[in-house]
Amino acid sequence: MQVLYVLREGFSGFKRTKVPMIIAIVTISISLLLLSFFAILLFNVEALIEEIRSKVELETFLSEYLSDEEVVKLKAQIERIDGVKEVQYISKEDAAQIFYDEFGEDIYKVLNFNPLPASFKIKLYNEYKTLEKVQSIYYKIKTIKGVDDVIYRKKLLEVLDQQARGYLWILFGIGVFVALSAILLVANTIRLTIYAKRTIIQTMKLIGATRGFIRTPFIIEGLLQGFCGGLIAVAVVFLVVENLQTFLTVPVFDLIKVKPYYYVVILSTGCFLGVLGSLISVRRFIKTTVVQ
Amino acid sequence: MGRDNFTKQTPLMIELKNVFVSFENQRVLENVNFSMHQGEFVYLVGQTGAGKSSLLRLLYFDLRPTKGVVRVGEYYSTTIRESDIPHIRRKLGIVFQDFKLLDDRNAYDNVAFALHVTNTPRKEIKKRVLFTLADVGLSHKRYSMPHELSGGEQQRVVIARALVNDPIVLIADEPTGNLDPTSSYEIMDLLWKINLRGTAILMATHNYDLVKKYPARIVQLKDGILSEISLNQLQ
Repeated sequence: MQVLYVLREGFSGFKRTKVPMIIAIVTISISLLLLSFFAILLFNVEALIEEIRSKVELETFLSEYLSDEEVVKLKAQIERIDGVKEVQYISKEDAAQIFYDEFGEDIYKVLNFNPLPASFKIKLYNEYKTLEKVQSIYYKIKTIKGVDDVIYRKKLLEVLDQQARGYLWILFGIGVFVALSAILLVANTIRLTIYAKRTIIQTMKLIGATRGFIRTPFIIEGLLQGFCGGLIAVAVVFLVVENLQTFLTVPVFDLIKVKPYYYVVILSTGCFLGVLGSLISVRRFIKTTVVQ
Repeated sequence: MGRDNFTKQTPLMIELKNVFVSFENQRVLENVNFSMHQGEFVYLVGQTGAGKSSLLRLLYFDLRPTKGVVRVGEYYSTTIRESDIPHIRRKLGIVFQDFKLLDDRNAYDNVAFALHVTNTPRKEIKKRVLFTLADVGLSHKRYSMPHELSGGEQQRVVIARALVNDPIVLIADEPTGNLDPTSSYEIMDLLWKINLRGTAILMATHNYDLVKKYPARIVQLKDGILSEISLNQLQ
């Protein structure tokens, strides 16, 4: 096959049919935009959930009258529990200080004594931050002698574990649907541009061009369409994300994180969609007989 | 014209032996036997729907016989592989009533395309395309797009494209069907000239005036049956 000729054919095909080509490029960019914004939304919701989950910790209140030695022993005992990452001791005085910081009142002046117990703030490894595992750690700590009470945000974990997961799956399902629609939309648009050239394909077959010789320029065309569509999508996503972060101060937009490699993924997806669309469509027309 | 002298002693280009073609139980060709030698000019006549196009499609392997054998050059319908088909088509020149030019490129590129598919070097392509376009009298219109050319001119480009690869047979399916009488005669003059140089031509036509003016061997298809007829039997 004449590589140069086929390459040139691919590029000139791109120039020869301007209107269908522009329609295909616009379709690819719209599909990519839909997909991109959806993916950004999905990633951010997931990141938000993980962010909230990372804040999950247990607070263990200690009995009054524990000696310093007993507190050290207790701390060591809790540290040995599976999943515990860090145990931070908060003495009665620290608790009073925190109370003062939060409420602006000195507890000694209000009550004449400090009712706030000493406690441990227990941080867990991320993989242990599920309702089931936190609950198991909760029971292990609760039964230790010298521990008065253990609290954690059970409700929040329930929401994160059950509902948020569910919503994520629904979002993911919609995402798959959007992706499939994008592929179908692009394949169909490219099919129309190639349909417009079906007589040319038939004539090429008649002259004795092999399937590869006919197919390759169309694939190059598809690649170029996908690349242009991808570039437009990248530009729009970039502008939208940048401007949202600059002009809007609503907290949720602080979350929008678009890593540079997302743009590479968008561009590559565009090229992939273009090539796939061309491949599917041209195959159909090459297969048919010359004279119908 | 002395055309008969070409035959019999020259190599066999096309041969159909006991060929049957049916579409969904409807018989299109029935026990067709036909052969054509290098340098021959043969008219294929018959009414619309008589099976002329089906017979021609057999020759460029766009259609396979239901029964029997089709031979074109060294290729046989019984043993030809799908990947051989482009190669046999390069050895045939095919001319259609509706031209079938690549309408997205000019006359030069249309003719050149036939050489690109055969991997001809660029310099050679330029030489041969210009020579062939001159041969059909269209050098001056080489940069014209198909829609800028008249019907007769478009058919000349198609003939140039068919000739540029030195075909073993030129197959013409109603080449003058869409042309006015003057252009028809011009095209016929061209085909006649090409045949005199030794290229075999099989031409399907309805235009009996042309057949009478340029007499040659005639085969007729009637209800799927092929028979040799003389000029006098032409009705």
